[in-house]
Amino acid sequence: MAERSVSNPFREDLVSRNRPDACTVVIFGATGDLTHRKLVPALYNLAVDGELPPGVQIIGFARRDWTDEFFREGLEKLNRKVSRTGHDEELWNSLAPNISYHQSEFQDEDGYASLAAKLDAADEERGAKGNRLFYIASAPEYFDDILLHLKKAGLSEEREGCWSRVIVEKPFGTTLATAQHLNQVVNGTFEEKDTYRIDHYLGKETAQNIMVLRFANAIFEPLWNKQYIDHIQITCAEHLGMEGGRGAYYDGAGALRDMVQNHLLQLLSLVAMEPPTDLSADGVRDEKVKVIRSLRQWDTPELVKENVVRAQYLSGNINGNEVPGYREEDRVNPESETEAYVALRCMIDTWRWSGVPFYVRVGKRLPKKATEISVHFKETPSVLFNAAPGGVPDGNVLVIRIQPDEGISLRMNSKLPGTSLRMEPVKMDFHYASSFGKSSPEAYERLLLDCMAGDATLFARRDEVEEAWRFVDNIERAWHESENPPPMAEFPAGGWGPTEADEMLSGEGRKWRRL
Amino acid sequence: MEEALAMGVELSSAGLGRAVEVAAIDGELKKLWEADDASTNASLMNFLIYTEDPSQLTANSETILSLTQENACRALLIAMDREAPEPSIEAYITAHCHLAHGKKSICSEQVSFLLKGKSLGRLRNTVFAHLNSDLPLVFWWQNELSDLFEEGLYRLVDRLIFDSSTWADPTAGFERIVAAREDTGQSMITQDLSWTRSYFFRLATAGLFDDPAAKKSFSAINKVKIVAQKEQRTAALLLLAWVVELSGWKLLLKNGDSFELSSAEGNLIEASIEWNEDGAPLSELSFFSPDCEIKITRERGNPHLCQSLCTDGHCLYFSGPADADAPADLVASQLSRGGKNSLFLRVLPQFFELL
Repeated sequence: MAERSVSNPFREDLVSRNRPDACTVVIFGATGDLTHRKLVPALYNLAVDGELPPGVQIIGFARRDWTDEFFREGLEKLNRKVSRTGHDEELWNSLAPNISYHQSEFQDEDGYASLAAKLDAADEERGAKGNRLFYIASAPEYFDDILLHLKKAGLSEEREGCWSRVIVEKPFGTTLATAQHLNQVVNGTFEEKDTYRIDHYLGKETAQNIMVLRFANAIFEPLWNKQYIDHIQITCAEHLGMEGGRGAYYDGAGALRDMVQNHLLQLLSLVAMEPPTDLSADGVRDEKVKVIRSLRQWDTPELVKENVVRAQYLSGNINGNEVPGYREEDRVNPESETEAYVALRCMIDTWRWSGVPFYVRVGKRLPKKATEISVHFKETPSVLFNAAPGGVPDGNVLVIRIQPDEGISLRMNSKLPGTSLRMEPVKMDFHYASSFGKSSPEAYERLLLDCMAGDATLFARRDEVEEAWRFVDNIERAWHESENPPPMAEFPAGGWGPTEADEMLSGEGRKWRRL
Repeated sequence: MEEALAMGVELSSAGLGRAVEVAAIDGELKKLWEADDASTNASLMNFLIYTEDPSQLTANSETILSLTQENACRALLIAMDREAPEPSIEAYITAHCHLAHGKKSICSEQVSFLLKGKSLGRLRNTVFAHLNSDLPLVFWWQNELSDLFEEGLYRLVDRLIFDSSTWADPTAGFERIVAAREDTGQSMITQDLSWTRSYFFRLATAGLFDDPAAKKSFSAINKVKIVAQKEQRTAALLLLAWVVELSGWKLLLKNGDSFELSSAEGNLIEASIEWNEDGAPLSELSFFSPDCEIKITRERGNPHLCQSLCTDGHCLYFSGPADADAPADLVASQLSRGGKNSLFLRVLPQFFELL
C-alpha cells in the first residue's frame, strides 16, 4: 500500500480516507435483484460523484443465458428507476462498455476457467495485472461451490502487488456450525484480511455516526455506563409482511436469524463497545467482538422463556388495509413455527454494563417502519421534585434514529411556564434531512468503496459472526430442540407486538418506547 | 426540493423580503416563525455574503435560495455602498424554505443589510449583532478584499471563502489572506473558489495515475499543459502548483506562463498554461511522456470531464463529473466537503513561486 502511494503522488491528501483501487468486480448471482437494485446503481453513483476509480470493470456471473447487451439493458433500465443521483446518459455510456456478462453454472468448473481467461485477457489488454473483487450475491447454497471453484481456478490468489478480495452477502450461515463451515471455506480460499462479510446496516450514515456521537462528544461518554444508564432499547420495526414471495426465505429463517444475529447485534456492539485504541478495522472490530462475546448466554429453555419472546402476527389492519396473519401469508407453511417477531433481554457482562438490560425487538407487520436505538438514563433522585404535581417526570432518553428520518433526539424535563412547579418532557431533535440537505450515499456505495480501498472497518470479522451465532444458536435450540419449548406468542398485525413482550419490561418497571 | 416557498413573508420587489427596523430584527424573525407551525427552522452555520457592490444584493439572495437547499443556515447578506454621501442602514428579513425529501418544509432565515456611507466598524458590528450563537461563521467575501477586511472582523470568521480570480492583484490579495491566518493563529480556514474549481481535475488526475502504465510513465513526464480561460489564471496556476508540489518538482525558470521544472531525478519538464476564451474555465490538463499521454479535458458547459490514457497507441477513455462553473455552485460543493483545506495551504508556497 505504502509503495503504491509513493508511485502515485497525486493521491496524497486528496480525500480523508483510504483511496479505492481500480479493480474488476465479478458479481456472482448477477441476474438477481441485489445486483440490479443496489450493486450496479451503487457503482454508478460512485462514478457520478467521481469516486469510482477509472477503469473499474464489472462482470456479472450467473446461470441464465444472457448476452452482455441484455445484461446491460436490464441494469440501465433499473438504474434509471432507482439511482440516488438520477441517470446521466453520458456517464452511463462511459460505464456501460466496462460491464459484461459471463454465463455459467455456479458448479461448473469450466465456467471459472473461462472467467479466469477473461480476466487474464483484460489484464493483457491493459498491459498490467489488475485487482479483483468477487462479490458473492448468489443464493447461500452456492457459496461453497463458488468459493471452492474460485480457489481451484487460482482466482483468489494475490498476484504481484494486486489484491484479490471477496465480499460475502448475508446470510453468513444459518447456525454456528454452518457459519464455522463457511468461514473455513472462505478462509481456505481468501485470507481473512481479504474477506469482507457485508452487513449493509453498518454502511448507513447513522450507524457510522454512533461512534462519532459517543467518542467525539465529551458530554456523552462519561455517562455511558451502568452508573447513569437504566437500560437501552433497540427496535427494528417493519410494517411489511411477506409480500413479493419473501415468505419462502423468511419462513426458513425467522426474525432472530434474519435480523438479530447480524444487524441488531452489530448495532448493539457499536452502542456498547469500549473506545477502540484507533480507528483501524481491527481496532474497532476487536472492541465490537468483546461485546458480543460478553453477552450472557440464554442456554436453557427456562432462561430463554424468561428473556426472549417470540411471536407471530395474526390477521389485522395496517394503514387501513386488512392484512393476513403470518401463517396465511404467501409461501409460508400454514403450520409454521417460525417467529416473525422477537423481543430479547440481553445482558452484557462487562464492568461498564453490569446490570443494564439491552432490550432488542424486531418484527414484521408492526405499525410502521422504523429502526432506532434509545438510551434511557436513570431518573434523578426524587428528593427535590417528588412533591411537585405529577411527581418527577420520566428520565432522559437519547434516541438515535437509524431509519427512516435519520437523526438524534434528546428528551429532557422542563418547567411548564406558570407560577406553579409543573414539569413536562421536551425534546431536542436533530434531523439529518433538515440540517444536511445533501442525500447520504447508499450503504452499498460506502461499503463497495471501502472494500476497494481495503478498509474492513464496516464489515464483520470471522469471530464477530461466530460469536453472534453462538448467542443465537442457544435460543434456537431452546425453541426447536427442547422438550418443553417456550411458547409462540401472537399479536394482531398492526400492533406493537405481543403482551408477553410488554410484560418482559413491565415486570421490571419499564416499558417499550412508543415510536 | 426545487421549489422554494416564501413563508409568511411578502417579498419585496427586490426579493429581499420584508423591510424591518434594524433594532427590531430579532422580534420580526420570531414573528416569522410563530406565524408558521408547519415549517422547521434549521441552521448549521451562519453563512454571510459580503459585497461592496450593492447591486449584487438581490442576486445574492437568489444564491442563498439555492444554497439553502443543502445547507440550512442563518444567512446574512451585507452590501456596502461606500460612495453614498450619508450613512444609513436598511434591513430586510425573509426565509427560504425547501421540501426535504418531498415531505417536510425546512427553512433558513435570511437577514439582508444595505449599509451606506463611510463608517469604519459598522460592518464588523453588524456582523457581531446578528450571528446565531454557537454556530460557525462562514464568510464569503466577494471580489476584492478592501480595507474593511481587518483583524476585528476576520477574528470572527471560522471559514473564509473568496475567489482569487476576481482580484486585480492576486499577490497582494494572498498576502493579506496569509497575514490574516497568522493573526488568527492559523485557525481561520480559507477557501479559494479558484482552487475549488479544479477539484474534479485533481481527482481525475489521481485516478488516472492509479493505472499501472501511467504510474510507470510518471518519472518520464516531460511536458505538462493546462488550458484555461484567461480570467481563471489563478485557478490554472493553483492547479499547476498542485501538480508541481505533489510531484516533488522544482521550478527552474519562469517565462510568462511557461515554466521549466526539474524532477527529483533531474529530468526537465516543460509546463505551460495556454488561454482559450471559448473553452470551459479550466478546459485541459495533460501530461506527456515518451510512452504515455494522459489528458483530462472539458468542453464549455459540459458537466463531464473526458479522461483519456494512451500508451503504445492504445487508448482508454472515461467520463467523470466536472466542477461547477457558477461561484454559488462552487461554494455549495466546498460546503459539502468541509475539512480544513490543508492541501490548499500546502500548495500555496509553490503557487506564489509560479504567480
